[in-house]
Amino acid sequence: MSATAETVPDRGSPAETAPRRRAARPVGLLARRTFRDARIRTIAFGYLFAVASILNPVAYRHAYSTLAERLAFAESFGHNKAVVLFYGKAYNLLTVGGYSAWRTGGILAILAAIYGQLAGVRALRAEEDAGRAELVLAGPVSRGNVYAGAIAGIGAGAALLWVAVLAGSVIGGLPAGGSAYLALAVVSMVPVFAGVGALASQLAPTRRMALELGGAVVVVAFVLRVVADTSGSLGWLRWATPLGWAEELRPFTGAQPLVLLLPAAASALTLLAAWRLAARRDIGAGLLAARDTADPRLWLLSSPTAQALRGELGGLTVWLTSVGAFALIVGVISKSISSAGISPQLQREIAKLGEGSIVTPHGYLSFSFIFFVLVISLFSCSQVAAARYEESEQRLETLLALPVGRLRWLTGRLALAVAGAVALSLFAGLLAWLGAATQDVAPSLPHMLEAGTNCLPAAILFLGIAALAYAFVPRAAVGVAYGLVTVAFLWQLIGSVLGAPKWLVEITPFAHVASVPAQSFRVGAAAVMVAIGLVAAAVALSAFGRRDLTGA
Amino acid sequence: MTTSTPAISTDGLTKRYGATLALDALDLTVEPGEVYGYLGPNGAGKTTTIRLLLGVHRPSAGRAALFGVDAWGDPVRAHERVAYVAGEPFLWPSMTGGETLEFLGRLHGAVDVEYRDQLVKRFRLDTRKKVRALSKGNRQKVQLVAALATRSDLLLLDEPTSGLDPLMEVAFRESIGEAKDRGQTVFLSSHILSEVEATCDRVGILRAGRLVDQGTLAELRHLSAQTIEVTFAGPPPKLHPLAGIEIASAGPDTLRFEVSGEVGPLLDELAGHPVRTLTSRQPSLEEIFLHHYDSSDGRVGDG
Repeated sequence: MSATAETVPDRGSPAETAPRRRAARPVGLLARRTFRDARIRTIAFGYLFAVASILNPVAYRHAYSTLAERLAFAESFGHNKAVVLFYGKAYNLLTVGGYSAWRTGGILAILAAIYGQLAGVRALRAEEDAGRAELVLAGPVSRGNVYAGAIAGIGAGAALLWVAVLAGSVIGGLPAGGSAYLALAVVSMVPVFAGVGALASQLAPTRRMALELGGAVVVVAFVLRVVADTSGSLGWLRWATPLGWAEELRPFTGAQPLVLLLPAAASALTLLAAWRLAARRDIGAGLLAARDTADPRLWLLSSPTAQALRGELGGLTVWLTSVGAFALIVGVISKSISSAGISPQLQREIAKLGEGSIVTPHGYLSFSFIFFVLVISLFSCSQVAAARYEESEQRLETLLALPVGRLRWLTGRLALAVAGAVALSLFAGLLAWLGAATQDVAPSLPHMLEAGTNCLPAAILFLGIAALAYAFVPRAAVGVAYGLVTVAFLWQLIGSVLGAPKWLVEITPFAHVASVPAQSFRVGAAAVMVAIGLVAAAVALSAFGRRDLTGA
Repeated sequence: MTTSTPAISTDGLTKRYGATLALDALDLTVEPGEVYGYLGPNGAGKTTTIRLLLGVHRPSAGRAALFGVDAWGDPVRAHERVAYVAGEPFLWPSMTGGETLEFLGRLHGAVDVEYRDQLVKRFRLDTRKKVRALSKGNRQKVQLVAALATRSDLLLLDEPTSGLDPLMEVAFRESIGEAKDRGQTVFLSSHILSEVEATCDRVGILRAGRLVDQGTLAELRHLSAQTIEVTFAGPPPKLHPLAGIEIASAGPDTLRFEVSGEVGPLLDELAGHPVRTLTSRQPSLEEIFLHHYDSSDGRVGDG
């Protein structure tokens, strides 16, 4: 002490003499923080957006090179409710641009909505839920700084997605100006749903609840678009859902740029409202108060698996409700599918899209169930993600310090995932049947349950692969799992149209899923997928038994 | 007693994380019934040791056994006689404290329900509150009660009182005393010397992954200096140099001594000087550590 005292001459207080770093601008710092936090998601979405934007125009040009082919295609597809259900309304299918706006725009707008919602909750609720916001606010940083930084960070992510769609479309051969506008139509969903996520973050006290609230809004927006696009008389409903605005912007088909005022106003309103609420409430609390005390409920506590089920019950209910509701819609709509006026030659063209015949109720149901295969495979990923979350939050260490074996724990988790997938599959079959039955459409209940069961082999395959990723690369596992399912599915949609060699087209598991109920269940392919899934799971269990537990 | 299986035994236990050597050839034996204090600063390897003892991380070399059962090879059997309290309470946010106690108890298999109720009262735990609404200290109490209520033969405690208020620390010490009286073994990782002093029979000091010293607290203290501060009625006198006694600092009317041996010669020397007050302080944990850091740097003794 005395030594240091000697070296400091009497030049005044240390505060004056110590070199002071100029305070950094907090908004910029926080924006970068938000952007970095979301970088993996942003890169994954950006990659997906770019690939979809490149492949759609290329595939269209390849598959429908003549005007006659395009006319025929437009004639059937433009009015086919089955296709419209998923891709949205088509305004002009005779040009590459019109086709791309419909195929790329329709799907990417939904993904952009999901991205915005996740980004909003992640930046504005997850940080608080984890207690980090408090730490930031303890510094010379205002709440306004934090909020502005989060929004700016999300904006940077949206800008990246815009560039991805623009670049992809231009590479795919579309004109730059139109591509920029198409990209804008897609990405305009990000701020709107970031606003939804921001509002949900003010209402819900936990990250999970905020995600559920925001997710519900995305689902409602999607269902509104489906109703608007598939029913003749309710087309005006398109104006009631942001996803409808993205359609009404009509890139490449008589653009209506004034419609951009709607997403702009909606974003501004939601973000402003969220800010007003954020400025008033306690940090860490939500406007919907969570109940902090409860009488003990002692069911489902007897084993790690039972308790895992207990934790997943809320999520499972959401999955069951969404899948069930969608299956019901699919069933009800199947009645209005008609094959009138579609030539066999064109039906072959449709088959090129890898989606089978969709002009009969059976064919349409089969086509729709391919999406349930996707959804239930994603459910498998979500279950491995839940297991990983248990580990990264270090609660797994709490469990394994008890007389609980690792293998027992992970086996239980995987069994739970399979049970959940079985429930979802059968529920989808049941409700699709119910929906069809209300319209007096023919498929029998066993047939539709078979269609549901047909979702399982792929889900089990992806579950095994996700488990493998979890065992070997725990930190990257969740991204790898979701990424593989998504890429495999996109390849199924696009690979065949691109004219890739057969073996390469059929590398995706989705190529081996039969179109039930139009075709019958492919036992051989299903057995192979289940076998691969089981072997992968076995290897995963063995590898998991040998590695260290890994934190976040 | 010498033939009984040790509660904890490690043999050359080593853990590397990439290039970092977190634990370096630890040889440790804790006998049944012992209360062992495991001391070390942050990052010394205390938590790594416990993770290896629990078999949630895999040793890079060597082995660890609990009651003779290999910790990595057969963790489930090893854990049947063990209860663990983590330094950070990682629990399920949507479950209440009571539900958590029930769940952890069922997984462990053996719970003394009567004792658990007693502990809930002692630690003033509100079992109806959900974990997410509990403060860190209260979550820590949930863990502590769950572990203590199992009456396990071995309690592995990793900085168990972090976040507890002083009242609860008293409750904690009382509970450790009860465990000791029942013949349970306690492995207490800590950096709070007073807590270790109040509860432990034997202490090991860990530094940068190595066990640098081990023994009873009295044995450890013997190695390092105690501080004696003397205030005089006037300016401090000139004293003769004494072996093992150093003047650490001097004020206008005070002298501070570092005494590494007997205090007697100093008292003799002070006799006859106008001493107003004399306070003696046992070495703090930091000082014991400093002693170890100094001696391992080659500055052994000074004369």
